[in-house]
Amino acid sequence: MDKQVVSFNLNGEAVRVRCDPFSSLLSLLRDRLGLLGTKAGCGRGECGACTVLLDGLAVNACLVPAGKAEGLNVETIENLSRGGSLHPIQEAFVEKGAVQCGFCTPGMVMSAHALLKSDPAPGREEIRKAISGNLCRCSGYVQIEEAIAAAADKLKD
Amino acid sequence: MIRRNIKAGEGKEGFPGARGFYDPEVWAKVTGRARYGIDLALPGMLQGKILRSPHPHALIRNVDLSRARSLPGVRAVLSGTGLGAKPYGIVFDDENPLALDRVRYIGDEVAAVAAVDEQTALEALQMISVEYEPLSAVFDPEEALLKGAVTLHDDFPGNIAWENRINRGEAEAAFKDADLVVEDTYALPSFHPGYIEPISCIAESEKFDGLTLHTALQSPHIVREILAGVLGLSISRVRVISPVMGGGFGGRVYGNLKLYLLAAFLSRAAGAPVKMQLTREEEFTVGRPMVAAMIKMKMALKEDGTFLARQADIITDNGAYSAQAPWVSKTLSERNDSLYHIPSISTRVRLVYTNKVPTGQYRAYGNQLANFACESLIDRAAGKLGMDPLRLRLKNCIGPGDTSVHGLQIKSCALSRCLQDAADAIGWTERKKGRGYGISAAIHAGGSIVFNPDFRGASARARLELDGRVTIVTGEQDYGQGAHGAFALIAARALSRVPGEINIVSRDTILTPFSIGALGMRQTTIGGRAVQLAAEDLLARIRDCAAELAGEEVVPEGGAFRTSSGRLIEPVGIAAFYCAKTSGLALTGEGRYVPEKSDYDQSGYGNIAVTYSFAAHACEVEIDRETGALTVHRFVAVHDSGRIVNLLTARGQVYGGVAQGLGMACSEGYIFEEGRVANPTFSGYRIPTALDLPSIETLFIQTDDPEGPYGAKGLGEIVQVPTPAAVANAVANALGEPVNELPLTAEKISRLLHGWECAD
Repeated sequence: MDKQVVSFNLNGEAVRVRCDPFSSLLSLLRDRLGLLGTKAGCGRGECGACTVLLDGLAVNACLVPAGKAEGLNVETIENLSRGGSLHPIQEAFVEKGAVQCGFCTPGMVMSAHALLKSDPAPGREEIRKAISGNLCRCSGYVQIEEAIAAAADKLKD
Repeated sequence: MIRRNIKAGEGKEGFPGARGFYDPEVWAKVTGRARYGIDLALPGMLQGKILRSPHPHALIRNVDLSRARSLPGVRAVLSGTGLGAKPYGIVFDDENPLALDRVRYIGDEVAAVAAVDEQTALEALQMISVEYEPLSAVFDPEEALLKGAVTLHDDFPGNIAWENRINRGEAEAAFKDADLVVEDTYALPSFHPGYIEPISCIAESEKFDGLTLHTALQSPHIVREILAGVLGLSISRVRVISPVMGGGFGGRVYGNLKLYLLAAFLSRAAGAPVKMQLTREEEFTVGRPMVAAMIKMKMALKEDGTFLARQADIITDNGAYSAQAPWVSKTLSERNDSLYHIPSISTRVRLVYTNKVPTGQYRAYGNQLANFACESLIDRAAGKLGMDPLRLRLKNCIGPGDTSVHGLQIKSCALSRCLQDAADAIGWTERKKGRGYGISAAIHAGGSIVFNPDFRGASARARLELDGRVTIVTGEQDYGQGAHGAFALIAARALSRVPGEINIVSRDTILTPFSIGALGMRQTTIGGRAVQLAAEDLLARIRDCAAELAGEEVVPEGGAFRTSSGRLIEPVGIAAFYCAKTSGLALTGEGRYVPEKSDYDQSGYGNIAVTYSFAAHACEVEIDRETGALTVHRFVAVHDSGRIVNLLTARGQVYGGVAQGLGMACSEGYIFEEGRVANPTFSGYRIPTALDLPSIETLFIQTDDPEGPYGAKGLGEIVQVPTPAAVANAVANALGEPVNELPLTAEKISRLLHGWECAD
């Protein structure tokens, strides 16, 4: 496929990249732009490790064609701890023991981020639904759910 | 002695300093800065890809690499005949890095390519032409055992890869004299560890015959030895460096040896680093799941519920090659016999080759598979005796000071307490109508001493740094289960420091002491004990040095030392003094934990671990009789893992293990169609999502183990063992009929419901 210029806003900065618009946003982020925080676990939209925010919505970057980002805001895990301090969601993940191997964590944090943007006080069922597209094999999700509930409390303050 | 019983979220958080202490790596992980295998790249790196067999069983007549070699951008193309490699394996040598004259399953490695990018490597694969002559194939292990079945390996006639018989006591007589005999057959499919990060590696072959392999492994030192052997290299010229690991669960003890070997051969041929990575589909189709098992089991009991004997005939499905499957089959066939007093045992286990995906290992080594059979059959017996299944278990529990039927020496043990507390927590005496309740118990070896009978323990080094911090150097591995954090808490306790002042160095074979690695629940029990001893040794040396520096007697005070004249000497000053005095050295301590030699004999009788952990799980389920859908409403997991080092991470281990066990019980498992994996995706294989899990309550019964560091025992593997049987027993209780197969999908339950209606 012919390459095209794709322009979008990445973590608050304007970027212009020449790429195959049908290649995945995930490979654009990881292989071209060096943002390795977004993980790749299956390449089929089944594990959620590559979750990023596209105009505030959680999406699987492996399923989004790079060209789809044109003119939109893309937010990755790297944006959450800019300036060196942890985002309240990240703090809560650490404090609640929600991080084991950590491979699902960036995607899980981004799904939580999207949820708390749209629903600042989610119940346990909303939390479960919001992360149901993010597979974690280590944790049984319990401490992740506790962390997201705690993060909601932190963000309220 | 049972000291304290802590509930999640209440009371003590573990060892001193555990509250609010987090392994520093957590920050890297939560910010996306942790570097995993898939994130790694080296200058000049090539991409490697593998051509795989489309046939379950075939002879290779010819492999033509010439067209692939001429494709621009291709740097190396290899087939089996050109490698000159010797067969290799883990228990026995039944594999080649690339197939020589025969392929034995769909996915068998036939050729490998390294090219400047992935696209070119994939194109080159399509330009390799292979002439196959298909052979008849066998997929069912029982068929593979029949006379006249096609043989997979000439060295293994009858397709039996490994076989074992165990006879203890007088089983035959016990069955004759028994008041009650129950028997049934249980079937379980293959399960995959399901780590979310696919296995990858970068191999850098060096001039003068060296190799550096970047890949995350649970046992890097042992993998290093295997690689050196197959590649014909000196062990000390092979270095394994592990990045952060995206999940292991036993699947990365040896990882994917074939991938590492092919990356090394390609790198040697191309003269450049080669990266290789399994796709998710490859993880399922050529990765190493645990054996499928068929368990025929019989139990003899007295009328009062006393267990007299157990007889088992077990067939495990090896797939095309064996890896660790013999060891898994051995654990599967034996471990549950030591959970209760059972005087007589008669077991036969056969590991059988079939033309399917080769198997490896998964958390708990098959203990959970046999637990499903054993604990289900105990419920059957309870039903026949008209006895409460809890009471029947409590009557036969093994306890502290006991030696089991296979010679396991039980030290600390709160098994009966685990069972009672699990039953209490689930509301055993107030069971609701319309719901099913199940309970199951487990034993698991904490720190194997027979993996290598001459190498039973672990060692560690401790070093006082110039900034006053202490570095622990260990060959053990953290992959998110919390080993590094546990080691920091153990060392901090020995040194009277806070855990945040401890650095942990591991994951590089050139820097760390030899270790067997993260398997057999060794990390906390054996590795942690070595850390404790290293820290204690260092403390003694720091004290001597402090006295020398002060020129008077000193006594420890916090992490520092008080002289008899009242001065306080800090570690920073001691480190600087020693560094200057020795022209650059640091004070170091060594810890060597060498467990007592086992009396383990030829028949497999004897103690196999430094200690044993125990657990009981209980749950409440509901069956929708219309659809067959199973809902697990509540789950309780009670564990005796000795003193809990870190409650936060210990809870995480239990939740995660229970979730994996629930996956086995309810949804997971390989499905094969004529040898082809029919569900090689997450959505097809179905590991649990957040919406699939019940509320899970954890409870720790804290015993003081005499062997583990400060009374701690292993936890990471046993967490999954009793789960599938607890669910199966609850489903059987709800249905009023036994359950013989996992997973208990709605379809399977519907069929059972329908079948019973017809039979009625």
